[in-house]
Amino acid sequence: MVGLSAGEKHFIYGGIAQDLRTDGRQRLHYRPISVEIGVIPQANGSSRVRLGATDVIVSIKAELGRPSSLHPDKGKVAIFIDCSPTAAPMFEGRGGEELSSELSLALQRCLLGGRSGAGAGIDLSSLVIVEGKVCWDLYIDGLVVSSDGNLLDALAAAIKVALCNTGIPKTTVNLGASPNDQPDVDVSDEEFLQFDTSGVPVIVTLTKVGRHYIVDATSEEESQMSSAVSISVNRHGQICGLTKRGGAGLDPSVILDMISVAKHVGEQLMSSLDSEIAAAEASAEDQ
Amino acid sequence: MEYVDSLTGFRLDGRRPNDMRQIRGEIGVVAKADGSALFEMGNTKVIAAIYGPREVQNKGQQANNQALVRCEYSMANFSTGDRTRRPKGDRRSTEISLVIRQTMEACILTHLMPHSQVILIEFLVHILLKFFMYFLPKICFLQIDIFVQVLQADGGTRSACINAATLALADAGIPMRDIVTSCSAGYLSSTPLLDLNYIEDSAGGPDVTVGILAKTDKVTLLQMDAKLPMDIFENVMQLAIEGCKAIAHYIRGVLLENTKQLECRRGI
Repeated sequence: MVGLSAGEKHFIYGGIAQDLRTDGRQRLHYRPISVEIGVIPQANGSSRVRLGATDVIVSIKAELGRPSSLHPDKGKVAIFIDCSPTAAPMFEGRGGEELSSELSLALQRCLLGGRSGAGAGIDLSSLVIVEGKVCWDLYIDGLVVSSDGNLLDALAAAIKVALCNTGIPKTTVNLGASPNDQPDVDVSDEEFLQFDTSGVPVIVTLTKVGRHYIVDATSEEESQMSSAVSISVNRHGQICGLTKRGGAGLDPSVILDMISVAKHVGEQLMSSLDSEIAAAEASAEDQ
Repeated sequence: MEYVDSLTGFRLDGRRPNDMRQIRGEIGVVAKADGSALFEMGNTKVIAAIYGPREVQNKGQQANNQALVRCEYSMANFSTGDRTRRPKGDRRSTEISLVIRQTMEACILTHLMPHSQVILIEFLVHILLKFFMYFLPKICFLQIDIFVQVLQADGGTRSACINAATLALADAGIPMRDIVTSCSAGYLSSTPLLDLNYIEDSAGGPDVTVGILAKTDKVTLLQMDAKLPMDIFENVMQLAIEGCKAIAHYIRGVLLENTKQLECRRGI
């Protein structure tokens, strides 16, 4: 927990009101993002994203599974987030579970679309190998190593980066004699297919502190928030999901205003993320 | 399966029997913690973070006249080859937490931190405020939390955790008797092997994990499973101790380098 004195609180409020926050940023500025790819060698794709002092690792594993009977033409994606006690002592034991499941659900809502899989950031039909029989199950595991606010944005960015880094093994299918047989699937060790990640959205969280809202709040700023709206925006400027946290109510017109701001900030975030990914890929190739 | 090539004497991953995997230590990886470190032994990668000394959170646990040391070991879902989702606080991680806690407790000078200095100031304020009133002096006991997180597990996680915890404790500026380092050794294909990786570890042979206080040469941790003849055990343990010493040498170098950097930043 962040313990702040009355003076510190006043300083945070005053700074936000004057568009100059305690770390020198403006209200709509992100902290510098640093991106690493391929940090977990045994995973199909992985990334580590640092947003100031917030540090998250995401690994993606693909396993063969069976599509659900309701949606035989779609693969399955599951997101699990863990909050490591190294990030904060309050995550010790079962202390982090509440936040972990809140983050997992918010990410699922923002990235995976509805229950039918429509509107997902990832093209779920590309995960199917044999319709109704075999598909890839994608397990996205996130770990919060260090937390300094704005975990949701950092995790969404890390998932986007990890998906760019993910290679799904190429498969060859030997269909059984009768259509009821489970087909044999040969998984190649050498050839990998890349994902189409252009549709994966980023999440922009706007945190309302006092009368103004800010992006990329630090934990000190988050401790003073009245409410926060997380908006996921894709490359085409479409809104893919929305989550509101915090107790205070918001005027509907403010929410609409926030969405248009998030769209604008999301575009900037997406382009800075793209250049970071390119840089990370280049440095990974050099090694 | 042959774990040591009978012709060349090399192990499965190309090491000689008394070679260690490549080790790497890095200080200050978790910005918000009081002390933190990353430690890699080959493909095993762990992060340790220290919070404290701070006020005891659970009053029932406080010990008299010494700081309380606590430890939690957790494994990331993606740390092992097969993706598993394990519940928190299973028996294995509880046991490793306990082992790490006991090993680190042996080197932390807990008796130096019976209560905090912050309280002394609070104490003075207390006197000023309640000058005429009756009050009981409040003593607060301190605790040190060690959190270790395994990012990649490839054998020897408990050794790596202890080494990371040592670095992190030093980074947090917690007074220690000496640095504790740990290394494992095993005995496969009639050869003592240093620093087993996952394949060698799961071969079912004896696995000796040793932790030593580097300067005073005292063993603070010793665990072994399976069985070994006495004379061979001596050799295997000696090999593990040599490994510990090599790690201690490396850790000392990392700490020295870190101190030099801090010195540089202060402009000395």
